[in-house]
Amino acid sequence: MKKFTSLLVALVLISGLIGCTKKNKDTGRTLNLSIPQEVKGMDPIYANDRYSSNEVGRVYEGLLEYHYLKRPYTLVPNLADAMPVVSEDGLTYTFKIRKGVMFHDDASFPNGKGRELVAEDFVYSIKRLADPKLQGLGWWLLDGKVKGLNEWRKKYSELPKVDYTEVVEGLKTLDKYTLQFKLNKPFPQFLYSLAMPFTFAVAKEVVAKYGQEFLNHPVGTGPFILPVFQQTKKITYVKSPNFRKKLYPTEASEEFKTAGFLEDAGKQLPLVDKVVVNVIIESQPRWLNFLKGKIDFIGIPKDNFDSAVTPSRTLSEEYISKGISLLVNPSLDITYTAFNHDLKLFQNVDLRRAMALAYDVVKSNELFYNNTALPAQSVVPPGIAGNIKNYVSSFRGPNVDEAKKLLAKAGYPEGKGLPIITYDCPSGTVSRQIGEYVKKQMAQIGVRIKVINNPWPELQKKITKRQVMLYGIAWGADYPDAENFLQLLYGPNKSPGANGSGYNNPEFNKLFKTSSIMQDSPERTALYEKMNRIAADQAPWIYGVHRQNFTLRHSFLKNYMSTDFETGQAQYLNIDSKLKVKVLEKL
Amino acid sequence: MNLWQYTLRRLLYIIPTILGVAGIIFVIFNLVAPDPALIMLGKHASVAQIAELRSELGLDKPYWAQYLDIVKSAFTFDFGRSWTTKQEILSMIKRGAIPSLTLSVPAFFLSTVISISISLFVSFYRGKWLDKSAVFICVLLMSVTSLAYILFGQWLFAYKLGWFEISGYESGFPDFVPYIILPVIIWIVLSIGPDVRFYRTVMLDEIYQDYVRTAKAKGLSEKTILFKHVLKNAMIPIVTFVVIQIPFLILGALLLENFFSIPGLGGITLNGIYNSDFPVIKAMTILTAMAYIIFSVITDVIYTLVDPRVRLK
Repeated sequence: MKKFTSLLVALVLISGLIGCTKKNKDTGRTLNLSIPQEVKGMDPIYANDRYSSNEVGRVYEGLLEYHYLKRPYTLVPNLADAMPVVSEDGLTYTFKIRKGVMFHDDASFPNGKGRELVAEDFVYSIKRLADPKLQGLGWWLLDGKVKGLNEWRKKYSELPKVDYTEVVEGLKTLDKYTLQFKLNKPFPQFLYSLAMPFTFAVAKEVVAKYGQEFLNHPVGTGPFILPVFQQTKKITYVKSPNFRKKLYPTEASEEFKTAGFLEDAGKQLPLVDKVVVNVIIESQPRWLNFLKGKIDFIGIPKDNFDSAVTPSRTLSEEYISKGISLLVNPSLDITYTAFNHDLKLFQNVDLRRAMALAYDVVKSNELFYNNTALPAQSVVPPGIAGNIKNYVSSFRGPNVDEAKKLLAKAGYPEGKGLPIITYDCPSGTVSRQIGEYVKKQMAQIGVRIKVINNPWPELQKKITKRQVMLYGIAWGADYPDAENFLQLLYGPNKSPGANGSGYNNPEFNKLFKTSSIMQDSPERTALYEKMNRIAADQAPWIYGVHRQNFTLRHSFLKNYMSTDFETGQAQYLNIDSKLKVKVLEKL
Repeated sequence: MNLWQYTLRRLLYIIPTILGVAGIIFVIFNLVAPDPALIMLGKHASVAQIAELRSELGLDKPYWAQYLDIVKSAFTFDFGRSWTTKQEILSMIKRGAIPSLTLSVPAFFLSTVISISISLFVSFYRGKWLDKSAVFICVLLMSVTSLAYILFGQWLFAYKLGWFEISGYESGFPDFVPYIILPVIIWIVLSIGPDVRFYRTVMLDEIYQDYVRTAKAKGLSEKTILFKHVLKNAMIPIVTFVVIQIPFLILGALLLENFFSIPGLGGITLNGIYNSDFPVIKAMTILTAMAYIIFSVITDVIYTLVDPRVRLK
């Protein structure tokens, strides 16, 4: 008995001595970030989710990037010396590469010293993305776009070894610092591809040295170094000592100027010495770590939303007193319920409009998004050209009386004669609840719905094989251009392309085709808006919402804003060390 | 039959077991699991790319060839690379095993010792208020979901009182110690309810045996009877209960690892299932099956040590 008591006492003592939490003493210029899922690896061609691409973007860089302080989002040169020269026919893009940019030091280079980046590195990196043996997950970005690249890929998919030295017509270097792309047809959105991590520059020596382990040895030209990547719960980057001269922007959109984002204008990047990324899967420990000041900013977890944000959508006093501030940022996305337009039933526009009008988006916003989202009026979200400010669709519900009239006009008074309509959705709890909500809403006008839950890949498969009637889904922007949303309704893009609903409207298709080869201009925006109105009027989907990000940040974190395109953001962020010491004492 | 012959023969059971396990996971994967190519390609999956990727993953091979691949990897321990993370699976397992074991070994050891001690203690006072209260507390502890202990423990002891780290992990001793104390304590609290009830039943079964009456008649003290005779005789069910749990320790404590951000095997298994990452699922299933057989052999051998009546056949 004595021994047992001693054991317990020892345990308590050990807990007391060792278990005492280490105060967050790291008040230097270290960014402490958190992410809710594992990072897949550090190979740019596999970085197809938000978190992996953010990690890749700390070490690797691309030809272009988004201006950190300009909205609407604007592309600017990064590893390119200037924006490209585009030929008149919109087919040829010629880039000058920035001179004197060095890869990080690594044993793959002679004497372990990183060499200079050259145009050929981009040819190599983009061929890696197209390499059929590697099955890069960003191939869709270039599929069918660069002259000769699809042929190159096809040829080597049938041969045992891929020859990177074979010249591809649309992907060439003109000299050491000049890179030229030739496209199969004009595609103005091509430039966005060059700001995405899939096309970031890697060095072939590093790939050759590490082989399959390349994904654990990131060696780029970026602001931070990660000597070895290990798939663990903590990734620590340090500032690259050889990072080129790159300065914090001196220009900004008005909203950023007034919010004090130019305090660091003209300073050498990156502004912090270290970035620590903590992988915290569960929301409670993420939230508690933020409240203790161990994480610099956080997207508010659903369960903590009501305690942090008041009904009037401001931050509660408790958090304001801790120096925490709230940032609200509309996300470039849309949730929707799509009709399968292959079915004759849904080619009846009055039926589609009736169902759209029966759907109460305001209530769904309350139920599923804590009333934080914006009801969608059409397909293009706010924040990009093509979205019509203050536009309200005539078929935006709820209007049950009008819906009933339209249903009768469609030939189904009170739903008589309609079959039971299946609604397929992903199998997560919220998706299932949304399905039940759609069922209830449609029952008001006599439309009977049967909800079917599917694992995500199963739902994709059903959509591709056209085995759905109605399905609930969402789309997030790949790049900030309305084309990325409008293409979801373009007839020739029908599934297995991105147009899963199979909507096919000749007028819409014609406008899309015309706009798809136009560079950004007021004329193109006018076409986008016209398509957006058609998409509202014809109700090819029942529109849901555009979600908004509600983020909290500590006062010691400087220059942070919530954005849809976070790649490379860490280099612009700063930590006010003195303020952090004071804040941490209070937390 | 001597010990070595017995052990060798039992270990040979691994072969048919692995063939069976390989068959089961192969069937489950092909019938139930979602298409990994679709998961990997996400919203940009095209029919051509899905077909290319399936071919690259070897999913277009005939079924018998795919089955043979599983069997081969089980016997060579070459599980290849994860489809999702592209990492070498053996390295992933080696890396994850240490954090998992640093949590599960001390937690399991302490919870077993504490539970056996408590159950011996309450058996001593069987039928009295102390015993009744202990049973009541055990039932009470078992009635609360494990998630509640984790959420409350983390909030109170780590966040409010600041006694422990909220989450995280550092490699190497003693750096990891501050990070595992709270999860270990929660593990113990979670185990005490069911364990004490089980061990107490085992002890009480023994206490009513004839030899205990004989010992009492001889005038031995309760303490001697309990610690020298009852505990020794109760060892068979105790050993079975303890050893059979060990293989599952390698899978880690999924919830605890997730909530405390411990980079263990639990997370690897969960991610594998979530992403239809067949090589990872395959490796974890086969290794667990092997460990199960090995530990059941160890259990049998320990039987002979704790109970001379048991003979290996």
